[in-house]
Amino acid sequence: MSATLADDELLITRTFDAPASLIFALWSQPEHFKRWMGPGSYDCPMAEFDFRVGGSYRAVIRSKDTGDSGFAGVYREIVPNRRLVFTFAWTNTGPSAGVETLITITFAEKNGKTVQTFHQTPFLNVEARDRHIGGWDSAFDKLKTYAETTAKEHRP
Amino acid sequence: MADALSTTFAALADPTRRAILGRLAKGEATVNELAEPFRISLPAVSRHLKVLESAGLITRGRDAQWRPCRLEAEALKDIDDWLARYRRFWTTRFDRMDDYIAELKKADTKSKKEKRK
Repeated sequence: MSATLADDELLITRTFDAPASLIFALWSQPEHFKRWMGPGSYDCPMAEFDFRVGGSYRAVIRSKDTGDSGFAGVYREIVPNRRLVFTFAWTNTGPSAGVETLITITFAEKNGKTVQTFHQTPFLNVEARDRHIGGWDSAFDKLKTYAETTAKEHRP
Repeated sequence: MADALSTTFAALADPTRRAILGRLAKGEATVNELAEPFRISLPAVSRHLKVLESAGLITRGRDAQWRPCRLEAEALKDIDDWLARYRRFWTTRFDRMDDYIAELKKADTKSKKEKRK
């Protein structure tokens, strides 16, 4: 449980053994995207991208257990092979439905390998997002400690 | 009407309110104590507290004179759980991305070999 509570904000860094142009293609081209979004525990039967700033995308993942889950968003920034910013929200009902988030991905290639940083934050509008970038961390550092201890105390 | 999670995030999307929560993480405090570090009026602090209270992030004591504010961990835990679900989701996807890259490389090597023949 404490490991879960340590996640105060979504930041996932991964190094892939491939050039940045390929990793960028995996995000920007539906035929590639469908292949890594599924299969596994589910499939990705549908992905439609209008890949340009202001363009929208939508996709569906299908699981035997939970059925179809859709997600959609709008591209906000596109810098080929370097940076990708888009909104993301689940379109079904569920605990996270309708909560719009902003995903920022950067790609840095070195010696044929690419470091991908994936950052996802919830926000309600651009103004709110700009305010909380950089300010979110420190407050949460304190809060997570509090949440952790209190959650433990409250557990039967 | 906004869902509970959106309300919580909206409440958090303000530096003053996050600072107030940071202060409350150390322990209960009154409105006066909370207002001290900020260059804003007591009514302004009270407005922030109302937002935090309606988002379930804090509760306030009942005594009319002494209404200490207290941080509520449950709402924070909801956010933690929410982020953890996304983390699991993307981490497994990136594992799969790794596999797919390996598949593409294998196919590429194979086609190059065939071309050489």
